[in-house]
Amino acid sequence: MGGRMNRAVRTNHPGVPGDRLLAWTFIGLPVLGLLLFFGYPLIVIGLRSFLGQGDVLSLAHYRRLWTDPGLPRVMLHTLWVSGTTMLLTTVAALAIAMALHRSRMKGKWLVRGVLILPLLAPSLVQGLGLIFLFGRNGLVHRLTGLPTDIYGFASLVAADVLYALPQAVLIISVALVRTDRRYYDAAESMGASAWRQFIDITLPQAKLGLLSAAFVVFTITITDFGNAMVVGGSYRVLASEIYNQVSGQMDFGMGATIGMVLLLPAILSLYIEHVASRQHNGSEHALPSEAPPGRGRDAALSMTCIGLLLPVAVVLATVFYASFVKLWPYDFSLTLAHYHTNLPDGYTPILTSLKISIAVAIFGTLLLFMLAIGMRRLSPALARIVAFLAMMPAAVPGMIIGIGYVLAFNHGPLSHWLYGSLAIVALCNFYHYHTQGFLTISTGLRTVPAALEDATTCLGGGPLQSTRDAVLPFVAPALVSTFFLLFMQSMVTLSAVTFLVTPELNLASVSVMQLNENGFISQAAAYSACIVAVVAVALGLMRLSTARIGIYLQQRGKLHVA
Amino acid sequence: MTHSLGKLGTGYQDVPRFKDARSRIDANSRTAQVALMRIATRLAAAFAVYALACGWAQAGSITVYTALENDEVSVYLAAARQAMPDLHVHVLRLSTGDLAARLIAESAAPHNDVIWGEALTDMLDPRIEAELAPVTSPNIAKLPSRYRAPDDKWFVATGYLAAFCVNTDALAAQHLPMPTSWADLAKPVYKGQVVMPDPQSSGTGYMIVAAILQGMGADKGWALLKQIAGNVAQFSPSGSSPCKLARTGEFPIGVSFAFTAMQSIRQGFPIRMVIPSSDVAYQLEASAMMKTSANQVDAKRFLDWIASPQAAALYRKYKSIVAMPGAGPTPEQIKDGLPADIAHRLYPMDFKASMENRAATIARWKSDVAN
Repeated sequence: MGGRMNRAVRTNHPGVPGDRLLAWTFIGLPVLGLLLFFGYPLIVIGLRSFLGQGDVLSLAHYRRLWTDPGLPRVMLHTLWVSGTTMLLTTVAALAIAMALHRSRMKGKWLVRGVLILPLLAPSLVQGLGLIFLFGRNGLVHRLTGLPTDIYGFASLVAADVLYALPQAVLIISVALVRTDRRYYDAAESMGASAWRQFIDITLPQAKLGLLSAAFVVFTITITDFGNAMVVGGSYRVLASEIYNQVSGQMDFGMGATIGMVLLLPAILSLYIEHVASRQHNGSEHALPSEAPPGRGRDAALSMTCIGLLLPVAVVLATVFYASFVKLWPYDFSLTLAHYHTNLPDGYTPILTSLKISIAVAIFGTLLLFMLAIGMRRLSPALARIVAFLAMMPAAVPGMIIGIGYVLAFNHGPLSHWLYGSLAIVALCNFYHYHTQGFLTISTGLRTVPAALEDATTCLGGGPLQSTRDAVLPFVAPALVSTFFLLFMQSMVTLSAVTFLVTPELNLASVSVMQLNENGFISQAAAYSACIVAVVAVALGLMRLSTARIGIYLQQRGKLHVA
Repeated sequence: MTHSLGKLGTGYQDVPRFKDARSRIDANSRTAQVALMRIATRLAAAFAVYALACGWAQAGSITVYTALENDEVSVYLAAARQAMPDLHVHVLRLSTGDLAARLIAESAAPHNDVIWGEALTDMLDPRIEAELAPVTSPNIAKLPSRYRAPDDKWFVATGYLAAFCVNTDALAAQHLPMPTSWADLAKPVYKGQVVMPDPQSSGTGYMIVAAILQGMGADKGWALLKQIAGNVAQFSPSGSSPCKLARTGEFPIGVSFAFTAMQSIRQGFPIRMVIPSSDVAYQLEASAMMKTSANQVDAKRFLDWIASPQAAALYRKYKSIVAMPGAGPTPEQIKDGLPADIAHRLYPMDFKASMENRAATIARWKSDVAN
C-alpha cells in the first residue's frame, strides 16, 4: 500500500477542487457503515463476554475456556478441522482456478456452473445430500451393501470444503486472470518447463490471492456451525459450542466469549495486508493471455475438476431427486406433493429474500468499491487499520452478528426504522460477507496498471475520471464477481438472520430451516430446489445485463491500454 | 417564513415610497399564513383519522412468539380465527432455545404481546419470567393448579413426552429386541445403535437428563446416563434430529419426543413409538402475556382461548399431554404407542429445579459423561 500511496501523493494536483472531498466521501461512507453496522453491534455483544455474575466486570468467562471440561478439546477439534479444510480447499481452488484461467480445457462453462451450485442452495442441502448418499442407510449403502458411516471428522471436512470452495476459487481467479503474458513468453523462450513456469511465475503472482483465499476459508469454516450440526455427529467445534451456550443454555456471556476467541484469526489478515502492500501492481501491457497449448496439463486439470466437482453436483442432484421421492428411502415413487408446502407464508419468503439480496448486491458492491478505491488515498498506517476492520467480519460467527444486531438495534434511536425492516436484514447480510467482497475487489485492484492511473491523473483527470477510465475497466471482473457473491450469499445465509425475522418478515432460508426442524425434510428439499431455481433465473438475467456493461468497460479499457 | 418577511418589513417602514410595497408584502404574507393554517388543519385532521384507524387496527391485532410446530400452529390458528374473527394474530415460530434467546435479547424493548407454548424450563428463567404479567381468565382458572403459576404469570395448556423412535426395519435387520425402558438402552446389544439429543444444545436432551436424575436420584441417575452414553453413536444438536435419523434408517433407535414420533408414523415411516416404562421424561409448554404488551385486552382474550376446551379438543390430535382435564389419548395415539394411562404416569417434575440446576448438570455431563 505504501508504494501506491506515495505515487498518488506525487501526482495529486492540489488545485483540483473537490478532489479531497470526494476522496473522503469514498472512504468515509463505507467506514462509517462498517463502524455503525458491524463495529457497534460487535462491541455490544463483545462487552457481554466481560460481564460476570451480577453484571460486574470479570474475566470469569475467559478463564472457563481453559477450566471447562469440554472446551479445550473442542478448540483443538476446531483448529484441526479448519486447518485441514483450509489446506485442501486452497489447493483444490488453485487447481480449479488454473483450469479456468491457465488452460485450454473444454467445458469451462460447466465448471463455472457446477462451482456456484453450493452457493445457490441453503447449507442444509449439502449435509442432507451427504447423508442421503453416504449415510448408514444412504444410497451407496443400499446399492452396494458397503458399511458406510459418514458422521464425524472426515465428512465434516468434506462438507466444509464443498462450502468454501466456490469462494476460494473466486478470489484466486481474480488474482490469476491478469498475469502478464510476457512473463510466460520470456520463460517459454528460455525453455522453462510448464511446471517451472507454474512455480516461478504463477504462484508468486497469485500469492496475494492464495493467502486471501486461505484466510477466508479458514475463518468461514471456523465460524460455520451448519455443517457441524448436520454431519458432524458428536464431533464438536467452537461454532457449535456458541449455539450450545446461546440457544441451549441461554448463556450469552459464554457464547460471546467464544465469539471473541474466534476473532483471533482475523489478526492473520494483518499479514495479508502486509503482503498486499509489497505486491507489485499490474503492468500497463498486461493482457489476459490465452494459455499455450498443453495437452497433458489440460487433461490433468480436467481430471482434477471432474474429481472435485462431480461430488458437488452429485450431492446436490441427490437432494433434488429426493424432493420428488414419496418417502425417502422407503418408497421411491415420484410425486410433486412435497412442493405443496405447508408453511403459513408459502413461497412468498423467497420473494422477500430476492428483494433484500438484490439491494445487498447493488449497494454492497458500490460501498466496497468506494472503500477499496478510497483506501488508496490513505496513509499506510490508516489504511492498515481500515483493512483490518474490513477483513474482520468473516471471523464473526453469524449467530454473534445476529444477536449483536438484536441487542444493538432492538431499541434506541435507530430501532424505529430498523426493527423488522428489510434494511436491517440487508445490512446484516452485507456486513456478514464484507470480507469476501473486500478481498475480491482489493485483489482485483492490484491488476490496475499504476502508470495508467497516474497518466490519467497527470492529464488533469480528477479521482473520478481516473477511477472511471483507468481503474474501472480492470476491476470490472472483480466487481461483477462480488456482486454475484453478495447476491447469492444473501439469498441463503441463515445463522444471523434467524434472529431478525418477524411475523411479517420471513426469509427463504429461515423457511427451509423451519421445515427441517418441523420434520418435513422432503419439503425442505423441495423448498431449497425452488430457491436454487429462483436464484439461477435471477443470476441468468443479471448476467445478461452485466455482460453488456462488461463489454462496454472492456472496450474502454482496451482503448486506453492500446 | 412569515417571520423573516416581517423583519424585512420593519427595516424599510420609514421610507415612504416603500410603504406601499410593504403593505403588499404583509398582505401576501397574511394570505400565505391563512393558506398554511388551512393546510395544517387538514393535515391534523388527516393525521387524527389515520391515528384512529391505526388504533383500531392495533386493537384487534397481537404479535405472538411460539415454539409450537408449524403444522399444529396453522390448525389452532384457523380455529382461533373462527372463534375470534376480529382478532388478527401475527405469529413468529422459533425452536424453544432460539425463542428463549430471542426473548432475552429483546428484553429491553419486547415486540411481542404473547408467548405461546414455550418450554416451561426456559420460561422460568428469571430473565424471561421478569418480562411476564399475571393473567387470570375463566378458562385458565379451570386448569389443574399444577399447570398454573402460583403468581398467575404463566399457565400450561399442553406438553410433550420423551419417546424412542424405533425403526422396525432397521431393528429387524440387526435382529435387535425392542427397547422399552431407559435401562434397556444401557444394554450392550445396543452399542452404537442409539442417537440421543445433546443436553448441551437441546431442550429435549436436557429434559431427558433432568427427568432421569430427578426420577432415580442423582447417584443412580448419573450411573445410568454414563452407561447409556457408552452406547450412544451420536449426540445430536436438536431434539427432533434423532427421530429423523431413525426414521430414514440411519440408526435403529432415536431418543426424541412424541410429537415427532407420531408425525413420522403419520408420514408413513416404519417407526414405532416407545414411551419408556418408568421415569417418563416430559416438558410442559407454557404460555404467558408480556407485561410490556400494549394490547393486554386482546392478549388475554387469546390466552383464554388457548386454555379453552375447544382448543384442547384440537390439541389431542398432536399432543401427548393436554392439561385440560377430560378424555385421554385418542385411539390413533394409543395405536401409535402412547399409553392410555399416561396422565397418571407422569412423575411430578420440579421444573424450577430443572432450570436452576441446568448449568451445574451440564458441567457434570461434560466432565463425567461426554468424555
